Amino acid sequence: MTSYNRRTLVVGTAIAVLVAAVISYFASANPDGLEKGQEELGVSGPVHPAVEVPPVAFQEYNLKWIGEGFWSNAIAGVAGAAVVLAILLGVGWLLARGKAKAPGAAST
Amino acid sequence: MHIASGLLSPSVWAASAAVSGAAVAVSAAVAHRYVDERRVPLMGVMGAFIFAAQMVNFPVLPGTSGHLGGGFLLGILLGAPLGVIVMASVLVVQALLFQDGGIEALGANIFIMGVLPCLLGAAVRGLWLRPKPGAATYAVTLALGILAIVAGATGAILFLWLSDSLPRSVSLAQAIGLMGGIHAGIGIVEGVVSAAVVKFVLAMRRDAVLGPLAAEYAKGVTP
Repeated sequence: MTSYNRRTLVVGTAIAVLVAAVISYFASANPDGLEKGQEELGVSGPVHPAVEVPPVAFQEYNLKWIGEGFWSNAIAGVAGAAVVLAILLGVGWLLARGKAKAPGAAST
Repeated sequence: MHIASGLLSPSVWAASAAVSGAAVAVSAAVAHRYVDERRVPLMGVMGAFIFAAQMVNFPVLPGTSGHLGGGFLLGILLGAPLGVIVMASVLVVQALLFQDGGIEALGANIFIMGVLPCLLGAAVRGLWLRPKPGAATYAVTLALGILAIVAGATGAILFLWLSDSLPRSVSLAQAIGLMGGIHAGIGIVEGVVSAAVVKFVLAMRRDAVLGPLAAEYAKGVTP
């Protein structure tokens, strides 16, 4: 892997981890715009049959075993970001497979 | 702004799943033209960043918060097809592992937070790729960033209305008005954050933002 790609991965991952693990802990607990709007419009609870997936490891953005807390939120956030990163690197690699290296790729 | 489980009727979620499924399939089919080894790390870290950023609810109005959508930003940085693929991945992980957004609402959520904003982002992509993006670029980005969020929220309300999930006492126009108002504030943040992130990524990896079509852009053609 070229150094500029490695740097992108390191810098990008570091920012994502900082946001997922630390900044997200200070997020507002108020309902988001869609939830709030639904509340105000009087949309309450499931109207149609709901399709629930049992929590595998996470209860919303916390570990399901230890409930809410800084580390619980941080681990859940970093794990989720890591899963997304892994999926996209895999998908991207599959899509880019067999492509010749782009000319002038190292120019920045 | 994820649509929760139990709010969409079977016909609405099936139709939205078909539309978003088709959008993802088309994106995947054409993606090889837009992907190269410079862009794969950018796709990965942008997905991780958007997953993380969506955890950060910021206050907008009393008792109300908002979070970044991210599709608009992806449309600018990667174009619509790759943007849709990244956004769909984020939404699938949120729905399957974090109970954020209903499983049956996944198609609808990919539409309102992926397809729609990615297309709007792709519409301003060309402005950012010029040698010196000026005040007009920022103004258009802010305006379309607001539109991306308001359109997404409007889409959500339309899906609920078509599903007969809105109370009879509220009209569709009232519901759209209320949702649009709440989301305009969130949209301002979306526009500003998108512009800031695009500026940051362009400074760091202009080559990865340009992608395999860099040569065409250099000639002044916007493919």
